[in-house]
Amino acid sequence: MTASQDLIVIGAGPAGSSAALTAARHGLSVALIDDAMAVGGQVYRAPANGLDVPPSKRDADFHTGEDLRHALGQSNVDWKPGRMVWSVASGYTVSAVGPAGVEDYEAPRLIAATGAHERVVPFPGWTLPGVIGLAAATILLKSQGMIPGRRVVVAGCGPLLIAVTAKIVAAGGQVAAIVNLDGPSDWLRALPRMARRPRLLMRGAGWVLDIARARIPIYFRHSITEAQGSECIETIAIGPVDRWGAPTGSSSHLLDADMLVVGHGLVPGAEIPRLLGAKMVYESDRGGWIPAVDDVGRTSVMGLFAAGDGAGIRGAEPAALLGTLAGLAAARDAGRLGQGAYEKSTAAMRTQLASYQPFTNAVGDMMALRTRQVAAIGPSTVVCRCEDITRAGIDAAARDGALDVNQLKHFTRCGMGPCQGRMCGDVAGELLAQALGVPRAAVGYWTGRPPLRPIPLEDLIGTFTYGDLPIPKPAPL
Amino acid sequence: MTTPYDLIVIGGGIHGATVALLAARGGMRVCVIERDQICRGASGVNAGTLTMQMTRVALIPYALKAHAMWAAAPTWLGHDVGIVVCDGLSLAFTEGEEELLTFRAAKRREAGAPISIVSGQQAKVIEPGLSGDVRIAGWCKVDGYANAYLTGLAYRRALVEAGVVLLERTAARGIARCNGGYQVDTTGGSITGARLVIAGGVWIEPMLAWLGVTLPIKVLINQLSVTERTQPVMRTQVGVASGLLSLKQYAHGTVVIGGGWQGKGEREAGTNEIVPESVVGNIRLACHAIPALRGARLARSWTGFEAETADALPAAGPIPGFENAYVCGSVHSGYTSGPYIAKLLADRILGRAPEMPLFSIDRLLCGTVVGTSTSMGAVT
Amino acid sequence: MPKVGAVRIAGFERGAPVTISVDGQIVKAQTGEMLAASLLAVGIYRLRSSPTAGTSRGAFCLMGVCQECLVRIDSQLRQACLTTVRDGLVVTLASHDRVTG
Repeated sequence: MTASQDLIVIGAGPAGSSAALTAARHGLSVALIDDAMAVGGQVYRAPANGLDVPPSKRDADFHTGEDLRHALGQSNVDWKPGRMVWSVASGYTVSAVGPAGVEDYEAPRLIAATGAHERVVPFPGWTLPGVIGLAAATILLKSQGMIPGRRVVVAGCGPLLIAVTAKIVAAGGQVAAIVNLDGPSDWLRALPRMARRPRLLMRGAGWVLDIARARIPIYFRHSITEAQGSECIETIAIGPVDRWGAPTGSSSHLLDADMLVVGHGLVPGAEIPRLLGAKMVYESDRGGWIPAVDDVGRTSVMGLFAAGDGAGIRGAEPAALLGTLAGLAAARDAGRLGQGAYEKSTAAMRTQLASYQPFTNAVGDMMALRTRQVAAIGPSTVVCRCEDITRAGIDAAARDGALDVNQLKHFTRCGMGPCQGRMCGDVAGELLAQALGVPRAAVGYWTGRPPLRPIPLEDLIGTFTYGDLPIPKPAPL
Repeated sequence: MTTPYDLIVIGGGIHGATVALLAARGGMRVCVIERDQICRGASGVNAGTLTMQMTRVALIPYALKAHAMWAAAPTWLGHDVGIVVCDGLSLAFTEGEEELLTFRAAKRREAGAPISIVSGQQAKVIEPGLSGDVRIAGWCKVDGYANAYLTGLAYRRALVEAGVVLLERTAARGIARCNGGYQVDTTGGSITGARLVIAGGVWIEPMLAWLGVTLPIKVLINQLSVTERTQPVMRTQVGVASGLLSLKQYAHGTVVIGGGWQGKGEREAGTNEIVPESVVGNIRLACHAIPALRGARLARSWTGFEAETADALPAAGPIPGFENAYVCGSVHSGYTSGPYIAKLLADRILGRAPEMPLFSIDRLLCGTVVGTSTSMGAVT
Repeated sequence: MPKVGAVRIAGFERGAPVTISVDGQIVKAQTGEMLAASLLAVGIYRLRSSPTAGTSRGAFCLMGVCQECLVRIDSQLRQACLTTVRDGLVVTLASHDRVTG
């Protein structure tokens, strides 16, 4: 079954939803596809079915999410929830597996708005059950109304550290410690840029006050030296680091907690542009490899746009603006928006976006991959979780002649596992570049191939009879 | 300006790498020019099938020798490509396929391949994972597979140990005759050598064109899929009567699904991509043959180029009109037979008589005047 | 007190209480919850072992990306973070299955 549209948007977070709503407002037929059952992505993730959030717990993100879901419901957007997109072929044909089986969507224009995922720089024991990401903790809080354990250690870097801690405390949980790569001076240095978005800064200040009131021990300039346990996490060893994130001594404290919540930034989900052969660029403060785009999100591939964190980490509000820009551009391309109106609308968006720039840059700096933290990863520490490839394995591949991450993959299986290189890719690439003594961009990025995520064969094949199979004529004898 | 090489090989896939390796061990100073990295093209991304049941009848004698060569890889290659020798089954699900299978198996048997026809039930004893819908099957014990993505590392180590100079990330752009042999213009400068082997896979056609030789090469875009690791579902190498399925499960649990279903792409741009319906069709056929496969998840699908000549037989032999210049490729089921065909050519280049005839390209050339005194040297 | 990886925050109204089975063990949850969260809430951390080194693994990213929370439901591999709980769900931990270790 193939459906035809003017525009397909993949990913229904702030960027994708805004893009779809904008395009639909201008009369385009738009299919908005996501594997979740409600729009909002991760940042505005809806509460689980049946979960009712009491009014006192409804924060700004909750309300923005509800507004978005309401706006979608009022629109002409053809919303396709519960669809896992496995292939995007040039032209564009989007193949998905949904509740009713396989579906194909066709449109001359595609907006990829697939967001971002957590980055955790490996440390001994990071693969133990009981270690989850910072973003994972926010998902538990937002969508499940749960805190990640009775007693939690929160670690890593960036504003999510503050947000997660404050929310756990507000929900009655106990945070045993905050273990922050950064020091107070790093936060202070970021303040002037963050002050350019006063509302966001005030929200953060509110969180900081809640944390202070709860008297949570904060270990500035510390990192996790080891998560210890056999079946699952038991104790957490931490130790001091220098201002680049590299350990300066051995473990200084041993902490006890139900869960370790840790994150070191976000990685853009740029799989669709990669798959379609778009020109990619490596930008450390945008999270790593991103598609090269113009100011409305147009990639180097005709008809393909990228918006939101999937096109570079900038945060939720810039994502919505970038999605709107892409939607406007799609509308103009489809002839539904005149040049004058287009220029007026996009100029307004761009001015708003510019006002976020300093804040975005401050956060981007905090969340960028810290190369010396990576350099300090020990040889026996697992880097590729799926295949248990250690740092030593990656260094050996470099000595064997691997010049790029795809060759690394062939030599070691790093990146061949189920996560398709998402969890390890940024760090593995950095390690390879360091081993070879070349710039990070020189070792490239994983070649994009379908499926975009692992798909059960059963779901892909559906029901068929042998006679259905279009077996071509036999090979020559 | 370095001393000219004894042999320049353009193309670092299995054909080029094997010729280079054997020539170097024979005492020659060899350089391989490869625009990407060793065995990253077709040689690194194919299904690794080593079977007689998908091999052209005319190539069976070569494939049998090649199979033995692969099985002995530790002795001549010296590094691991994960060779597994196991039974191979080619399945027939319909009456038409029964006829096709029986006919083809007989022809291949005549050519020397030990293939026998067994009933569906007998096939199920050999391969318990098989569907109950199999009517008959071709069964051959000279079968198995290698792990294609290991090819690059294995050959790299062997080539380096043999002293072959590897010019990777270096693309050839032109060839000219010069005093003492051939000068290859590359993105990394000029390389000269007394002898030349063109082993550029689908790019054999444009490379020969640099010499004014027209050899049409059809470009196939073969699709492959691999599952995540899954519980043991099969223990043989499985295909179908038409030749359009290959299926095997590696020791680490992943299942590779192939058989030549076509994606789309372009040689000139070097691009290739899957066609979703084609991937689904291939996987449906695989699940039809081995039903338990349905419980696995698809991890990755990809495409690669394969070269095919007009008569679907190899282009392996001297280039007419050019002394000491050779072509090697387009074997069509090249992973199985590639190393052996390359060995025959290496023997010829080293001045030894090849054990079996090569495949001269005279038969394939367009635009050359056949039968005049200006055309080609000796046929192999 | 045994560790738990998730605690339901008081004051939320939730889906109807249900029971599911995990490797034969009865587990209480609420309709509509994320299976991975329901398992953490009863202290089930380990879901499988890694295929190569056989180390203990469980949910990590909770958003369908890391593939660590694979379990078997109706003989098919599913990610527990993308599975919603319903009454009578039968979950087999994949740790006995070669797939994931």
